Amino acid sequence: MNKFGQSRRNFMQQSTAMAAAFAAGGTLGIRSAFADRSKELNILCWEGYNSAQVLDPFRQQTGATVKAESLTNDPTMINRLRAGEINVWDLINVNNPWARKIMWPEKLIKPLDRAKMEPYFEKMLPAFKPPYQWSLDDSGKDLIGMAQRFGPYSFVVNTDKISRASAEDQGWDLWNDDANAGKYGVQESDDWNVFDLCCISGFDPFKEHTDEEVARYTATAKKVFKNAKVVGDLATMNQLLVSGDIDFYLTGGTYSCSPARADGALNIRAITPNKGPLAGGKGGISWIEITSVVNNPDVSPLAEQFLEYVQDPEMSHTVAFAEGTFNPVAQMGNPDCFKLFTAEELDIIQWDSLEEEMARSVEYDIVPDYDRLLDIMTAAKREVSGG
Amino acid sequence: MADLGRQRARQGPLNAVPVAIFLLIGFAAPLLGVIIFSFMPERTFSLWQAPGLGNYATIFTGTSYLSLLWSLGLAAVTVCLLAVICYPIAYGLARVFGRWSTLLTLLFTIPLFVSENVRLYGWILFFIKNGVMLGTLKSLFGIEMESWLFTEGMIVLGMVYVYLPFMLFPMTLGVSMVPQETRDAAFDLGASKWQVFREVDLPLAMPGIMIGFLLSFVLAVGALVEAKVLGGQRVIPIVHDIELAFTYAQNWPLGSAMAVLLMVVVATFVLLVLRRFDLDTILGRR
Amino acid sequence: MTTRSPVLELRGITKTFGTFTAVHGIDLTIAEGEFFTIVGPSGSGKTTMLRMLAGLESPSAGDILLRGQRVNDLPANKRPTCMVFQSLALFPHRTVGQNIEFPLKIRDVPAAERKARALQLMAQLRLPESYYGKNVTKCSGGERQRVALARALAYNPDILFFDEPLSAIDYKLRKTLEKELKDIHRETGKTFVYITHSLEEAMVMSDRIGVMRLGHMVQVGTPNEIYTAPNSKFVSEFIGDVNIMPVRLNGGRLVSDELGAEFLPPAVPTGFSNGHLVVRPESLRVLDRRDEAENVLTGTLYNEYALGSRIQYQVRVGERVFIAERLRQQALTGRLDTEVLVGWNARDSILVSD
Repeated sequence: MNKFGQSRRNFMQQSTAMAAAFAAGGTLGIRSAFADRSKELNILCWEGYNSAQVLDPFRQQTGATVKAESLTNDPTMINRLRAGEINVWDLINVNNPWARKIMWPEKLIKPLDRAKMEPYFEKMLPAFKPPYQWSLDDSGKDLIGMAQRFGPYSFVVNTDKISRASAEDQGWDLWNDDANAGKYGVQESDDWNVFDLCCISGFDPFKEHTDEEVARYTATAKKVFKNAKVVGDLATMNQLLVSGDIDFYLTGGTYSCSPARADGALNIRAITPNKGPLAGGKGGISWIEITSVVNNPDVSPLAEQFLEYVQDPEMSHTVAFAEGTFNPVAQMGNPDCFKLFTAEELDIIQWDSLEEEMARSVEYDIVPDYDRLLDIMTAAKREVSGG
Repeated sequence: MADLGRQRARQGPLNAVPVAIFLLIGFAAPLLGVIIFSFMPERTFSLWQAPGLGNYATIFTGTSYLSLLWSLGLAAVTVCLLAVICYPIAYGLARVFGRWSTLLTLLFTIPLFVSENVRLYGWILFFIKNGVMLGTLKSLFGIEMESWLFTEGMIVLGMVYVYLPFMLFPMTLGVSMVPQETRDAAFDLGASKWQVFREVDLPLAMPGIMIGFLLSFVLAVGALVEAKVLGGQRVIPIVHDIELAFTYAQNWPLGSAMAVLLMVVVATFVLLVLRRFDLDTILGRR
Repeated sequence: MTTRSPVLELRGITKTFGTFTAVHGIDLTIAEGEFFTIVGPSGSGKTTMLRMLAGLESPSAGDILLRGQRVNDLPANKRPTCMVFQSLALFPHRTVGQNIEFPLKIRDVPAAERKARALQLMAQLRLPESYYGKNVTKCSGGERQRVALARALAYNPDILFFDEPLSAIDYKLRKTLEKELKDIHRETGKTFVYITHSLEEAMVMSDRIGVMRLGHMVQVGTPNEIYTAPNSKFVSEFIGDVNIMPVRLNGGRLVSDELGAEFLPPAVPTGFSNGHLVVRPESLRVLDRRDEAENVLTGTLYNEYALGSRIQYQVRVGERVFIAERLRQQALTGRLDTEVLVGWNARDSILVSD
């Protein structure tokens, strides 16, 4: 592209950024490009980090204006940065592969002070011992984010209807059994549903797929959505499990069923299959949130300070049980943090089986042909609607 | 004096500049962005590529057009049901209920202050197994029924419920615009109740009815939550497809193309209706 | 007129709304082809009365007989009667032609026949033929009046009801339309029942007049009877400018305690002891000499009003104001604020109770 074209392109990018900043102005207040940002912090995150329990003490400590917006899927958050909001946000909290494999190569995030931040990993659960792969870039040189919440994420059952043992044994074949038509729901977390449809089809999602596999996947997608009683958000799924409208639902884990368990419905349980088509014959998939500093040209100096602030044992416990969903945190490896969890809280996050479930799970990764598989799944959903 | 007038004439457009700029940035610019994006190659995040019609082709070669048909169909059914349901209520509010009308209007308005999601989840609790309805039937009469949730009918129910005020209030206004003496006159001239309705009530209330139709149709075509919450995604309306394209699918150009197509279809429909029923002449007739 | 057969008979018609009684037990007979006007101030119950006759309201008690048949429960669209409303109630979304043809369309009269009838009615009502396709909202007040009448006539009713259709029209046009309406009455020979709050309007057009007050029919008679022999102070006052004074009967003479005067009475109704003496302005003359009239009062000339052929004088006797008249040729000049004599002959006055 010639010089003129280049500058036009820059102009358009800036315009988009301005439009985005303008749109964000509604929630964040319009600020000038070179404002003093030492008393201001903007966080884009999954719910929990935006709660008053987490943010208020930090506001008091620093006297800063902290704004956080929560979203419930990774691609949308990253899109917001791509759309020009890189000038708006200071911290972004998404699941593990996005930081290392997408945002870092696209220069949407910047490195952390490794000498200062990496020692925090020493106090985490054993699986997070440094050098922890998802916190580093591919070369292993730069520290690109901090870990905290995590959990297995395969599916959820009502153990009154299907015992934990038989669910773990049957695993993904639950969805291959035509007798289960109309007994299950599908949670509307479409990226994870793509993984699960691969598992049900009997192959690993996190690799390039052959045409034969894609054909099998297509058939699975049609069958699973045709036999699904309902597709909805996690609150609806839990409610329908409790009411008995459905017996189990696709894509779920401690993250999604913890609100029901906290309400006393301990028969609603996250399940990780004993075996499956995933790498090493593993049965389930897990996620680990990585919080990174956005490559904001005018980033707030409070960004790293906030990452340290949530490493504190008490604050880690607060993050684990902030409003919305409840999740284990890596900081439970620190006895000072672990002792803050009551027996009831441990039960809600299924601490009893957490270690073995994580061991049976592979970590969330990027699906190379995700676009193709997602389109097939969306088309399958549309076709089910009869059109 | 002439100078002052000329000065004023010059100040007029000048004063409109801030509003014009605001509209340009807030309304025209994003719209233009969406239109340009719809001609970009799929899954790009850049506005400066060779334009093409690929995304529009995808809508019709793939299955996305089904979503558009669902949205239009659901909206059409909803609007027709609303017309039938709202007319008697509007008639009552305008002519029968007298001073109770204010209270009833308030009752119809209050739900608007509650988030749509909350209201629809309320319906879930009402229709869920062992919920308000099925639970009551079971415990009082021993009747066990399958839940009606997550069906197309349930989506229509939700849409009728949510968009009722948007049909009802313009329609009530329309009905109250029909002078009682004109109705009496038609009746006195030998018309039956039905003929009075057809010859006087309907044409004279038409401005309100048309506004109600257009308002609720345009809103209903953009309905999303009803299909998501009450329909359990049994149906994917076009707006849901657009949302998926912009989020999980990361395919802005396809999402933009669907959005543009929806706008074009709805705008065409609205213009056709407005040409058939010229609101200005109907409204300005008095 | 008495030889005509009755077309409409009311027997004890009463209408109550909740605790409010709008119409009190009215008995009335209207003859075939008659132009009957009901007059009364607003709130007298005349509109309610007319709506009952048209079938738009049903009476709470009593019977309505149309040519001897009880029609209480017959709805308006089944009655051979038709009403011209105060607002005219034309169909604003229709043309002049469509408005007039409406009752014919309802009866499924073929289009060609409808149009012929509409044009015929338009000609009769002096509406230009070119108005057939004109939007009714584009017509002037008088034209709309004629369209409304044509539409009612197209229904071909036995009786036409009019609910003050001329009240919103300016004086000059109203006077023209009043006469036109009376002409139409003659041409069609139909029974017209008209209501108005203007007795003057009623006088111009009617064969007979019924005066209503607070839901009661207080007097029914020909315009002449109502004018010359009102049976109450209310009716006499309703006619227009009138001189009224309270009097009592004392030994064959009338005594006005207020004025300290005695008058020669007209024919005294039986049982009359006190009430009001009514003298119309045209009967009260400003006199040159005391012996020009049987009853004479002395007052001060306060003001004068030229009415064309006559001149009215405001004469004050004590606190009381009298209106007297003289022909224009006999106009008084330069007499303002001077003493004048006013007087009348006993036969030109009327005695009414209360």
